[in-house]
Amino acid sequence: MKRSKDFIIQIATYIILIGLFSIFANNLTVNLTRNNMLINFDWLKSPAGFAMAESALPFKPSDSYLWAIIIGWLNSLKVIFSGLILATLLGLVTGVSRTSKNILLRTLSSTYIGLIRQVPLLLQLFFWYFVGFLSLSNSSISLLGSLVSISNHGIQILGINLSAEFSALLIGLTVFTGASIAEVIRGGINSVPMGQWEAFRSLGISEIMGISKVIVPQALPAILPGLTSQYLNLAKNSTLAIAVGYSDIYAISDTSITQTGRAIEGFFILMVSFLLLNLLITEIMELINKLILNSN
Amino acid sequence: MIKLFSRAVIGLSLLCSACAGPTPNNLSRLDLIQKRGELNCGVSGKIPGFSFLQSDGSYEGLDIDICKAMAAAFIGNSSNVQYRPLTAAERFTALKTGEIDILSRNTTHNLSRDSIGGNGLTFAPVVFHDGQGLMVKKSSGINSLEELRGSNICVGSGTTTEQNLNDAFQERNIAYKPIKYQDLNQVVAGYLQGRCKAMTSDRSQLAAARSGFREPKSHVILEEVLSKEPLAPASAGGDQKLSDAMRWVIYALFAAEEQGINKDNINSKLLLANSDPTMTSMRRFLGIDGELGKKLGLKNEFVVNIIRSTGNYGEIYERHLGKNSSVPIPRGLNNIYKSGGLFIAPPLK
Amino acid sequence: MQMNTRSTYIKLIRKNFFSNKLDSLISTVLIIFIVWSLLKITSWMIFVANWSVVSNNLSLFTFGSYPRLEYWRPTLWLIILIFLTLITLFWSKKGILRKYIPIAWIGMIPIGLILIGGGLGLTPIHSRQWGGLTLTLILTILASVISFPLGIVLALGRQSKIDVIHKACRIYIEVMRAVPLIAVLFFGQLLIPLFLPVGLEISRVLRAILSFSLFVAAYIAEDLRGGLQAIPKTQKEAASVLGFSPIQTMQLIVLPQAIRTAIPSLTNQVIGLLQNTSLMAILGLIELLGISRSLLANPNYIGLYMEVYVWLAFLYWAVCTIMALLSRHLEKQLTYGRG
Repeated sequence: MKRSKDFIIQIATYIILIGLFSIFANNLTVNLTRNNMLINFDWLKSPAGFAMAESALPFKPSDSYLWAIIIGWLNSLKVIFSGLILATLLGLVTGVSRTSKNILLRTLSSTYIGLIRQVPLLLQLFFWYFVGFLSLSNSSISLLGSLVSISNHGIQILGINLSAEFSALLIGLTVFTGASIAEVIRGGINSVPMGQWEAFRSLGISEIMGISKVIVPQALPAILPGLTSQYLNLAKNSTLAIAVGYSDIYAISDTSITQTGRAIEGFFILMVSFLLLNLLITEIMELINKLILNSN
Repeated sequence: MIKLFSRAVIGLSLLCSACAGPTPNNLSRLDLIQKRGELNCGVSGKIPGFSFLQSDGSYEGLDIDICKAMAAAFIGNSSNVQYRPLTAAERFTALKTGEIDILSRNTTHNLSRDSIGGNGLTFAPVVFHDGQGLMVKKSSGINSLEELRGSNICVGSGTTTEQNLNDAFQERNIAYKPIKYQDLNQVVAGYLQGRCKAMTSDRSQLAAARSGFREPKSHVILEEVLSKEPLAPASAGGDQKLSDAMRWVIYALFAAEEQGINKDNINSKLLLANSDPTMTSMRRFLGIDGELGKKLGLKNEFVVNIIRSTGNYGEIYERHLGKNSSVPIPRGLNNIYKSGGLFIAPPLK
Repeated sequence: MQMNTRSTYIKLIRKNFFSNKLDSLISTVLIIFIVWSLLKITSWMIFVANWSVVSNNLSLFTFGSYPRLEYWRPTLWLIILIFLTLITLFWSKKGILRKYIPIAWIGMIPIGLILIGGGLGLTPIHSRQWGGLTLTLILTILASVISFPLGIVLALGRQSKIDVIHKACRIYIEVMRAVPLIAVLFFGQLLIPLFLPVGLEISRVLRAILSFSLFVAAYIAEDLRGGLQAIPKTQKEAASVLGFSPIQTMQLIVLPQAIRTAIPSLTNQVIGLLQNTSLMAILGLIELLGISRSLLANPNYIGLYMEVYVWLAFLYWAVCTIMALLSRHLEKQLTYGRG
């Protein structure tokens, strides 16, 4: 009896899903026919006709939309991966600081987390870009000797030029995600029994050594899942690049859609890009997870 | 269980019957607007002089007054307009999906946007002749495009502005870096703060932006015009009734200026025409004789309604872009042909 | 063992800030940094900033283009909300109040909708005219209210033994969680109309609310899954022995516990949602951030973005912090209820 009931529900669900799907597909066809815009990917081959301020590989306006989208992809990857590394470092430092004995350090890091996590990222990006970078002067300010110099054109580190748009986006994503990663790391560290701390302290191991060699390795299994989801958030949030004028995959898709009117196709490409990106990050993290579990 | 199943099937078939095929949709958007009693007008909301937000939450500008004139003609009341601020990227989709009835948002009329193989819109007559220009700081000493070689140029993304910039520089074989922003005030911020050597936009917008600067005199708009930008209201294509009505509302604004009919004298002109049967063309124009309005699907006195609410084209211009406005731009081409401009209305006969 | 207070302080300071060389170095650098930035910020706020852009436009920030004559309606709602927040945070332990506070909160939603949207004798105000902080709050509240049951359905569906339901829910949750919110909102604003029958119009605000709900529901489902998995199987078995039907077991035993476990992450979702409503500024709604961007185009206020952004950051921070406090309160109450 139970079997047949399940079977009927299963069939009914199939019918409902297929029905819904066909209704939407039908509406879409009707609407697209009405506007003479049946789905077609030929436009990908036609010249994009817009220039880009920065691209990982050479790009000219006469190149195709497809190439523009690939460049957008690479630009996204660039900001995502540098963001991942910096946010992890910032999160690590802040997370550890929150468990520090120094009250000043503890208060400062919790103020940072409390402030950053309660203000929308988009607003923070506007702030970093328009207030942070653009209000700097044209002539660059040098820090750390002349290793790093900052101006309203961006950051220059050891001869590598980072544009103001890229830098603002990177800093915004780092600072925002760093705060969340700090919370994840603090949670992981707190999951390590107090006895472990007392143990390394009584052995006379320095605080920094103890944390990096004793505490963090034990906290990692608890940290990794949270870290993965923060990484995925960072990747998704990188689409706010459009707000500060950085040409990421979303910005390029948006421009392409406006110029060609190919909303459905452009959106489809964007979706597939993100599913792939997600898969990439999850796979890499799974690999790291396995490596760590094995080495433990 | 079988009951549930059959219910699901019936429900589903009902849902499907609602979408069995392309629904006949011969109703014009104009009828819908009139039935609704409200016009949905897509505007920018962020361009001084054309459409921008006031502190009390209302919008003002030339584009806004075009919406008002349309509402006055279609519905008989210029305040029955819902303004929808749109980004450059979403404006055409909004029009096609029926989100808005008409678009009055600094939109350049060009072939791709007009044609059925392109964006498939229908454009009303041009309401502002613009051209794209470049603005630089006076202190930079830059006088020509050539001197901008290799420089950053701030530009709004997803607009024809971006494409024109590209065309102009590519033609002259000058390399440059576009810094792209989402809207004009971001472009202005980028330029003012020195992220770019120059900013580009329609010359009217450059002038408008400059008038808001702390030191307007230390910025110059280059002589070179990158493109012609005839800005016109638009509607979704394939709707002759609506596009005809829009076209003649604009022409009525020009014709009224040509004939010296304005907000102040419309009532006396109406009285005069009413009492004098020999003023045939005036009587036809104001809807006393003939059926000009009816032919368009509007009230016969639509011209009177327009003039009463917004005044003629010249009045609209003076209000928002005239000498005493906050964004003064010389009329130049944007004048009726009798005064040396480009605007001419075909006969309203 | 009496010590004078002064030396206690010194000891305390030494212990907390200067216990060793590294600590002293960190503390000194931090103190210099903090003092310097506080000085900079205060001097900017007092001497440089031009706050007229904020003070002249308070009503715009709060109501957007809502009709002037009807300002009292959202104002009334906001006042009730503030009042309710204060009561919840400070006086909720007093007997009777405690019972009615949850009802009052739930009641705020229809009351707010009627006050702002019209009905029951109030002139209808179309959602296009909603704006500013009011719109931000409406988007947040409605989207969370819709996404919550949707999230529960998805979470349960994902646990279903029926293959197709399980798979459909899983695919939905995973796809939604893989794509960026702005893409979902873009879909909602520009593409949904293409999937609707000709002539059917859904207002832009409603489409935004739907997109947010569909997006957040996937995250809520994932949070609830964690909660559901945390419940030992023995409970279900016990319930079935006691004669509970599977549906009753779900309703009375499993779900309440799962929701309780998930509350911290659920409230985080709501706070995240409030912040994410700002994305609508990119897609043309004039909520809090959108209205501010429009305002910056007014020739009178060109270039005053720093003031506007600082003011907005403060507003968002304040609202989010209040929401975080409320949620912590809720958590506490629920754990008391348990004991």
